[in-house]
Amino acid sequence: MLISVSVAAISLALFWMAAFTLWWQMHAWRTPETLAATRFERPDGDQGLSFSLLLPARHEQAVLEHTVDRLLESRHQDFEIIVIVGHDDPGTAEVADRAAARDPGRVRVVVDTHEAKNKPKALNTALPYCRGDVVGVFDAEDQVHPDLLAHVDHAFGATRADVVQGGVQLINFHSSWYSLRNCLEYFFWFRSRLHLHAAKGFIPLGGNTVFVRTDVLREAGGWDQDCLAEDCDLGVRLSSVGKKVVVAYDADMVTREETPGTLLSLLKQRTRWNQGFLQVYRKKDWKQLPTLGQRMLARYTLMTPFMQAFTGVIIPLNVAIALFLDVPIGVAVITFLPLLTAMVTFVFEIVGLHDFGRQYGLRVRLVHYLKLIAGGPFYQVLLAGAAVRAVWREQRGRNEWELTSHVGAHLVREEAR
Amino acid sequence: MTATLPAAPAAPEPATAPSPPDGARLFTRPVVRFRGSRPDLILCGVLLAAILLVQGWNIQQYPTLSDDEGTYLAQAWAVQNGRGLAHYTYWYDHPPLGWMQLAALTWIPSLIAPESMTVASMRLAMLLVSAASAVLIYVLARRLWLPRWAAGLAMVLFGLSPLSVVLQREIFLDNLAVMWMLLAFCLAASPSRHLWHHFGAGVVAAVGVLTKETMLVVLPALLVTMWRHSHRDTRKFAVTGAITACALIGFSYPLFALLKGELLPGAGHVSLWDGITYQMSRPGSGFILTDGTGSNGVLDSWLYYDRVLPIGGLAGAALLLATVGRSVTARALAGPALAVAVLALVALRPSGYLPAMYVIQALPFLALVLAGGAASVAHAVLRKGRRTPALLPVRRAAAVLLATTALVYVVPRWYEGDRTAMTADANAPYRAASAWLGAEVPDPAHTRVLVDDALWLDLVHAGYGAGLGAIWFYKADLDPAVTRTMPRGWRDLDYVVASPTVRRDARDLPNVRAALEHSTPVATFGEGEDRIEIRKITGDGTTGDRNSRAEAP
Repeated sequence: MLISVSVAAISLALFWMAAFTLWWQMHAWRTPETLAATRFERPDGDQGLSFSLLLPARHEQAVLEHTVDRLLESRHQDFEIIVIVGHDDPGTAEVADRAAARDPGRVRVVVDTHEAKNKPKALNTALPYCRGDVVGVFDAEDQVHPDLLAHVDHAFGATRADVVQGGVQLINFHSSWYSLRNCLEYFFWFRSRLHLHAAKGFIPLGGNTVFVRTDVLREAGGWDQDCLAEDCDLGVRLSSVGKKVVVAYDADMVTREETPGTLLSLLKQRTRWNQGFLQVYRKKDWKQLPTLGQRMLARYTLMTPFMQAFTGVIIPLNVAIALFLDVPIGVAVITFLPLLTAMVTFVFEIVGLHDFGRQYGLRVRLVHYLKLIAGGPFYQVLLAGAAVRAVWREQRGRNEWELTSHVGAHLVREEAR
Repeated sequence: MTATLPAAPAAPEPATAPSPPDGARLFTRPVVRFRGSRPDLILCGVLLAAILLVQGWNIQQYPTLSDDEGTYLAQAWAVQNGRGLAHYTYWYDHPPLGWMQLAALTWIPSLIAPESMTVASMRLAMLLVSAASAVLIYVLARRLWLPRWAAGLAMVLFGLSPLSVVLQREIFLDNLAVMWMLLAFCLAASPSRHLWHHFGAGVVAAVGVLTKETMLVVLPALLVTMWRHSHRDTRKFAVTGAITACALIGFSYPLFALLKGELLPGAGHVSLWDGITYQMSRPGSGFILTDGTGSNGVLDSWLYYDRVLPIGGLAGAALLLATVGRSVTARALAGPALAVAVLALVALRPSGYLPAMYVIQALPFLALVLAGGAASVAHAVLRKGRRTPALLPVRRAAAVLLATTALVYVVPRWYEGDRTAMTADANAPYRAASAWLGAEVPDPAHTRVLVDDALWLDLVHAGYGAGLGAIWFYKADLDPAVTRTMPRGWRDLDYVVASPTVRRDARDLPNVRAALEHSTPVATFGEGEDRIEIRKITGDGTTGDRNSRAEAP
């Protein structure tokens, strides 16, 4: 009896969790009108803002030059690039200085002298040097579309926004089974879920292609140097005090990135994010949100990685209970509910992969779909591992930054397009 | 772009208006907002009142109580009373969802007045189903862009055709399934083209199929409707979502069987597999157009009530399917037209089994395509090539002439049919038999009666034991759990209520036949073929030990 009740309760809770997550994940495709509204508006040619683009680079000499060159191709008339390098990283500094020498009017180098380095410290170091109306953040390996700045400029002007978040997309889905799933996660997040957050007024921002009005950013005190998810934290702080955030996604305007090169680095990256989410949750800035619904959304979103881990363990257990233990037939049927939502999510992921291929003109083959399906449970294990690891590290007070290095896999294969 | 709101948001700020080139391609047709349209609400409300009046008046007396109604309602009663899915072993004859809904629908009245749980009185519950279906067909017609008058026409055809009146009054699972399927079509044709509306259409369609499995053949038509009404940019998510939802909900039935250990056949238990095998191997009733076959008889029985809806509907479907390339209306109604075509083809199988209620699931689609065909013809007569205003009076005259002809043909026939439905009393013998068995038998609790399903609940309320006291007559031969309690065959029975159904089926049921042969009528109600005889078992001394026999509930 006790088993039946608890199994039914857990199943129903999981079902509702998964159903909500699915609902939000599919936000952009709810109606054709919603989908159309997620795009950038076409700029009218009026460029009123100046940009300071921050480019923190640490041991990125392999990709930095290419990134800067591509940024310089931007068709906006008023922007500067500030490359931030560490005082202990001469390789990257050399590349940065070379770029600054070539275009001294638009490229500058700022040296970060913090003993222990991380991305928020680097960004805060550069913030006082920003001369533009808007601060934009990119990563050293990003491929930025030349028309992006003009679109963002127009978005600021047309919507009176304080923050504009552009799309970021992992592209190298063919590299490995987990990069396939990783790419798809980004696709659903930036293509769809983030727009829901923008609409609801609570948004964890992304790490790059994010643009904030300089005065708003300074007023907020820049980035939190002790937070492992400084991007998420900034979004939560700004939206909690009612700053207006606009999200836009155009397949040809997204910033292209690569997935971590090894499974271990993906695990480390995910651990860092999870730990960061946990920190943001504990900072309680989100409690200032005006409505209960927003606060629930915040609570839920920041807890998601941990619930996800939990779900991955519980679903198989539940099914096993239904099949092998002697529980009443009604309870047995209820235990299948979470599996039901999981299946629906699975199918939408397959369709999402197809759409991803269409949007980016990439050939998605049958083997990729098979990998997507077969990789699902293993990816779930990875997520669960990262969640457990994050909790463990946070508990032990381990707070250092585990950086992911980049090899530039996304630059080679997709460059042709 | 999607924007957050400033602090303390009041009204959700609409997402930035899409730029003109994108926006232009978003809207293909004006959207009908049913709830905000007063003329639609008034027309639909007036027609609904008329339908409820015609269907509800005299509902208990006409048509004749059918055996199947008794079956489903009795099983709903079993669900209500915690006896499982049926008061005899549930053997996967149909998915149980249909009578579970009946149980829910009749739950409150049966709490207030348990004795009202009989076929005749619970027919009133079907009025709710009819009302829902009638409103849904109007909404669907409007969502398929039919003009207001044509939507009203569809509703009238669906709700007031004498064929509909007779069949929709009866407690058939098909009526419930039709309601779900209409809801699924409405969701598939949702004007907002919302992902979760389409997803919901899949869920509801699965519920329809689990209510009456024959709805399976209508699913392709639903898919066509959904395809036509979804937008290119979101279609792949909407359609796959709907198919997934439908399949997953549908699979819950085999899953249920699996969890009960009854998916595959085995010794000593029923199984889903056996149930399906039985339904698929039911002896065919012949080709529908060959004189004298069972199917032909069924067809004649439909046409006896109404020719306009079945034949006119088929003609409408043919017209729409033939003009799908040229007519906007035909394209909008492609789904319902396809449904009619598929259902007609299935009925035309040369050796299939055609049950009398088969036509129920076709009624809404026949009504829609007939109304759509009428709208198409009206458009052709009144609007097409409007460049010569001189012709306008001629066109108008032609339209009036056509409408008048149709009315002159239809109205007298329907008036006659619906008048019969609202005045005739076909169930007096049943009521009399029920009253007799309730009053004249001294000790119902210890009396065993073979009875058809339609009267069974009456007997249960009169105090007869449910299942082994009052016995569904065919269970005496077909259910081992019942046969076991009759070691001496007909000698272990007291009465047999010989209704037309019992007399007809007794041919293949030795125990029932023997009971009929070893009994004499003690009361007869009605005359001729339709009479109901209450026959008391006679013959060698069977009364001695009967009262001491334990009566298993």
